[in-house]
Amino acid sequence: MTSLSFELTIGILKIFSFVVPVLVSVALLVYLERKVLGAVQLRKGPNVVGPFGILQSFADVLKLLTKENLLPSSSNKFLFIFAPMLTLILSLIAWAVIPISSTYVIANINIGILYLFAVSSFGVYGVIIAGWASNSKYPFLGALRSAAQMISYEVSIGFVIITVLICVGSLNLIDIVESQKNMWFAIPLLPMFVIFIISALAETNRLPFDLPEDEATLVAGFFTEYSSISFGLFFLAEYANMILMSSLTVILFLGGWYPPIDIFPLNAIPGIFWFVIKVFLILFVFLWVRATFPRYRYDQLMRLGWKIFLPFTLIWVVITSAFLFYFGLLPN
Amino acid sequence: MFLVGSFFLFAAFLITTCIFVIFSKNPVNSVLFLVLAFLNSTFLFILIGAEFVGIILAIVYIGAVAILFLFVVMMLDIQITTLMFNIKRYIPLALLFAGIILAEIIYLTVFKTSKDNLDTFIRSKNNTEQIGDVLYTEYFIDFQLSGIVLLLAMIGAIVLTHVYRPTIKRQNIESQNSTTAEDRVKLLKIKSGEGIKDD
Repeated sequence: MTSLSFELTIGILKIFSFVVPVLVSVALLVYLERKVLGAVQLRKGPNVVGPFGILQSFADVLKLLTKENLLPSSSNKFLFIFAPMLTLILSLIAWAVIPISSTYVIANINIGILYLFAVSSFGVYGVIIAGWASNSKYPFLGALRSAAQMISYEVSIGFVIITVLICVGSLNLIDIVESQKNMWFAIPLLPMFVIFIISALAETNRLPFDLPEDEATLVAGFFTEYSSISFGLFFLAEYANMILMSSLTVILFLGGWYPPIDIFPLNAIPGIFWFVIKVFLILFVFLWVRATFPRYRYDQLMRLGWKIFLPFTLIWVVITSAFLFYFGLLPN
Repeated sequence: MFLVGSFFLFAAFLITTCIFVIFSKNPVNSVLFLVLAFLNSTFLFILIGAEFVGIILAIVYIGAVAILFLFVVMMLDIQITTLMFNIKRYIPLALLFAGIILAEIIYLTVFKTSKDNLDTFIRSKNNTEQIGDVLYTEYFIDFQLSGIVLLLAMIGAIVLTHVYRPTIKRQNIESQNSTTAEDRVKLLKIKSGEGIKDD
């Protein structure tokens, strides 16, 4: 019995060692976003709370916590409260299979990539339940947009993942990273890498694809009726999802914890450092895109997903597998 | 012990959620309970060691099919009383299907006694690899046929519902993309006091 309780304690500590850094980096990511946007738009960004304004997001969270949580009288109360919780839970449980280094992972399962794909496809439930339970027109329109958008871009994400899996021959995330020791998949599969980043933007409802929360037409989209901490949970989940999709990009295309070149001063640095640096770079791209591009129109978004990305990724799957087959490069 | 306990837990949840799917008054709640039922069957698949089948079930049914259900059901304006009245009409059909499935289960568990072989087959290799080994070799024709059936169903649904309405204004993306600044804005020099000629 003691060994069981010991294992439980270790497990819980492991979970905390992932969840707490993720939540802290969410706060820092919000700060980074405001700073980057400020820099791009020639402003200063937050600079009052703490040194360089670094405590701004913590102050915002405290403010949200002390506000009153409003329940619309015509809403479906249980689902209304449940939706933000579901969204945050889904964005955190995905971290169970993310390998930060070759040994530092909570659960090293055979089908890690499918688990991640499943969890990220469940993400739409939080949004659609929130939109329906609010019983109000703007949240409902936001939820419908979001459902259609996330399903559309999941298709191309699925094909991109299949291309990588054909090159690896395993569904295990650690195997995927280890097969990139000599060359990152971003180099031979560059078009897939670009499509994956664009689809990740759409999947996390980020600009230029943030139509579910398009403030110019839908007030605030699916969380219009939310206030206080239930709004805070959606906010946390959105940024946690951004970090998750960036980590997935790093694992699939940028060689996870491996340094860019396997030579002495670079490979002496611990792998976790490389992982974090790469995730940071992808996150910066997310913010950079937000500051640069105007929002898509909805029909343009759907056209991009179904008429450009879907045929392109489908053809690329065929090309990759044919190439690997004829040159005898298929993994075992 | 742990496995048996979790099996009964998830199986009980599965049956409870299925009952709620049928008896929920609100169709949206029904679909959400259906999602829970799918989730529990995923857990059951993972418990018997078929993690690939389980997670594919989750991706396809929870991640796509049930979302589309929810999508449609949310937009319907159904009168709940008429819905409950109609349920009785379908009872004979439901009993027929339930009987067929029960007979299949009895046939598989009682008369097919290759259970031990199956068990060693399942444990011998990672089940993702096993499915990959047989799907495109032994079951190639069946796999392609089911793909064609699904494609036909999809095309059929589109053909049945898609009506071209000439009155609707559409975006022509090609012409929008090929537009240049010169097509939209013209720089004119206007003599003072004359204005622009309308032409």
